[in-house]
Amino acid sequence: MRISRLFAALLVSLVPTALARSSTGDKVLVVMEPTLKAEDYSLFFNNLRSRGYEVFFRAPNEKMPTTMSYDIPQFSHIIMFTPTAKNLEADVGPQALFTLLKENPSTNILVALSPKRTPMSDFAAEFNIGLPPPNTPLISHFPPRSSPHTQLIINSPSKAHPLLSKNLPPVLFEGQAHLLGDNPLLFPILNAPVESFSTDGTEDRRADSVVEASDKGGEGLWAGSKMSVVSGFQATNGARIAFVGGVKLFSDEFAKAEVAPGKRSGNGQLAQDIAAWTFQETLVYKVDSATHFLEGDETRTEQEKYTTNDRVTFTMEISQFDPIKNKYIPKSDIQELQLEFTMLDPHIRTGLQAVADKPGTYSVTFRAPDRHGVFKFVVNHKRKGITPLQVAMPVAVVPPRHDGYPRFLSAAWPYYIGAISTSVGFIFFCIVYLGAESATERKRKEKGKNKVE
Amino acid sequence: MKPSSALYPLVLALASVCSAKLSFKSGSAVVNAKDGSPSQSLKFDPSQGTKPLRVAQDETLKLQFTVFDDAEKRDVQPHQTFLRFYDEKTDEEGIVPIKVGRDGKARFSMNLRKPPVGLPPTTFDPLHVSLILGSFRHEGAVYDLFDLSLPPSASTPPHPEESSFHVQPEIAHTFRPDQKSPPKFISLVFAGLVLSPWAVLLGLLRYLPISLQPDTKTLPFLACLASFEGLLFWYWVDLYLGQVLMYGAALGLATAIAGKRALSSFN
Repeated sequence: MRISRLFAALLVSLVPTALARSSTGDKVLVVMEPTLKAEDYSLFFNNLRSRGYEVFFRAPNEKMPTTMSYDIPQFSHIIMFTPTAKNLEADVGPQALFTLLKENPSTNILVALSPKRTPMSDFAAEFNIGLPPPNTPLISHFPPRSSPHTQLIINSPSKAHPLLSKNLPPVLFEGQAHLLGDNPLLFPILNAPVESFSTDGTEDRRADSVVEASDKGGEGLWAGSKMSVVSGFQATNGARIAFVGGVKLFSDEFAKAEVAPGKRSGNGQLAQDIAAWTFQETLVYKVDSATHFLEGDETRTEQEKYTTNDRVTFTMEISQFDPIKNKYIPKSDIQELQLEFTMLDPHIRTGLQAVADKPGTYSVTFRAPDRHGVFKFVVNHKRKGITPLQVAMPVAVVPPRHDGYPRFLSAAWPYYIGAISTSVGFIFFCIVYLGAESATERKRKEKGKNKVE
Repeated sequence: MKPSSALYPLVLALASVCSAKLSFKSGSAVVNAKDGSPSQSLKFDPSQGTKPLRVAQDETLKLQFTVFDDAEKRDVQPHQTFLRFYDEKTDEEGIVPIKVGRDGKARFSMNLRKPPVGLPPTTFDPLHVSLILGSFRHEGAVYDLFDLSLPPSASTPPHPEESSFHVQPEIAHTFRPDQKSPPKFISLVFAGLVLSPWAVLLGLLRYLPISLQPDTKTLPFLACLASFEGLLFWYWVDLYLGQVLMYGAALGLATAIAGKRALSSFN
């Protein structure tokens, strides 16, 4: 009994406690500037390792390990913990990062920013992120606390993005906020508190400079909850980039701190959530298959062409990556999935409904328009922060063939009757003409016979 | 590595407890019309609920109050004196700083002809206006002042692709209406009309001395003619051109042979 229990305990200890894999790859490169020490972020990196990632470290001005070798990306994910580094080696500079994002499969990037202006600030600006003037960290005088006012406590938002865990405790933040442009690929993950603002002052005497700075910049005051401290960018090719306003959010110091007596901060959980989203673990969707066929077709053969006014069924299967099971699982609860039947402009746009007894299947039946031409079945489902789902299948819609029109119409009965009666009349006439001729012929023959006799 | 519990003891103040914090007194809001005469005026203090205030296009809003610290009981100049304009329905927020002198006197003036940059886009719904007082040395506080109704601003056009990230309106194709056919009764009446000459014919046939005697020589030919009509009827119902031409060729050959035989029987 004791031996088997020991054996079971041994087996359990061999299984990693929180195994979660990425859907695209396991190699992570961390570019860390010399002023930061990896030991200060050990909780974050150990958590990554326990989830199955291989973490490699390098400094910005080192050459190895490189991100690209002979034009092949070497890492699936890159973490840029270079908030104040001004000199970056070419293969981790903004140009190289852009090239990596556009590759197929693309590289995901997690960037830590800071109040200083660095090449990473220019990189962030390319994504429509507006940064406040340099050296103006985010401060908040609320809630009243004895720690520096540049260290903020941010409560989890009431309408949080699905990538954040539920019931996230308040998190500690130190760094700079940014404003997001209106590009819909960009979305906020965590917003700054309402009472926070960006300033370089540390005393009450500098109150006037706050007012003057807002007039000078022309952009107004960098304040309020419209600024965000953590934001994400979901590219259309599937690449993900996360921008965090301060690298200390990932530190062990903040992860172990208490925001209230007896309540630990949510930094550890938030760091995991950000990494999970950026490294393609959560909210990764995939179209498994998409097909179309005539409504009543049991064999479900895909047709090359449909006739106008045909009833056509379109069906597709979608699955979501489950990081714990490390495979794609059918997903049946996607809302508001829409199908467009397009020829230059959508002629039909309907919702795709989930099929009840087939997990992950969505289907709709509609009537093909009475315009002929080359149409496309288009599904282009995009939402902030999830992988876009795209399907485009061209198909021809042809007018009915010569025998595809309705026949034997009630309005044409007089014509049918007329034609048929003409045929019948002809046969009747032939019978009478040929039969009657025989009768007169016989009479003449008889007369001739009589005369002869 | 410092122990976590002793790191940064953070004290969260409970808002309901009336502790010593920044506050203001002699708060007044005046709305002046274009000619300078006051059209509305409002006195507000920290303990009051929010009141409505309306500013039209040509009017000026002037706010005045004095910031003081409850604990030290003197007028102070805080680090942060912001007016927050918030629209609940559209979730738009704007923050505008207020200039406060060393003596704690704050003055704010807003004319809609040149609105402050931080003002958010407005609609027909009122904006909640609150005052944020923050300081490094004193405990800060947030106070709700009044509900401000401003003329609606021109809406900013959204990003062209923004609509594709939300549900888009459904589009249904308007089909050509189905072909309508006249009532079947009318078709029947006219079909009867078409058949009416037969009635006349059958009536007049009584006066013709016709006696039919089926002749074995002409019967095959008549049968072939009848089957040609049948073939045409079959073509109308079911057959394709290729098939009918094939059958027609075979039948035509048979008809020619039968006809030749019938013709030879007359000679």
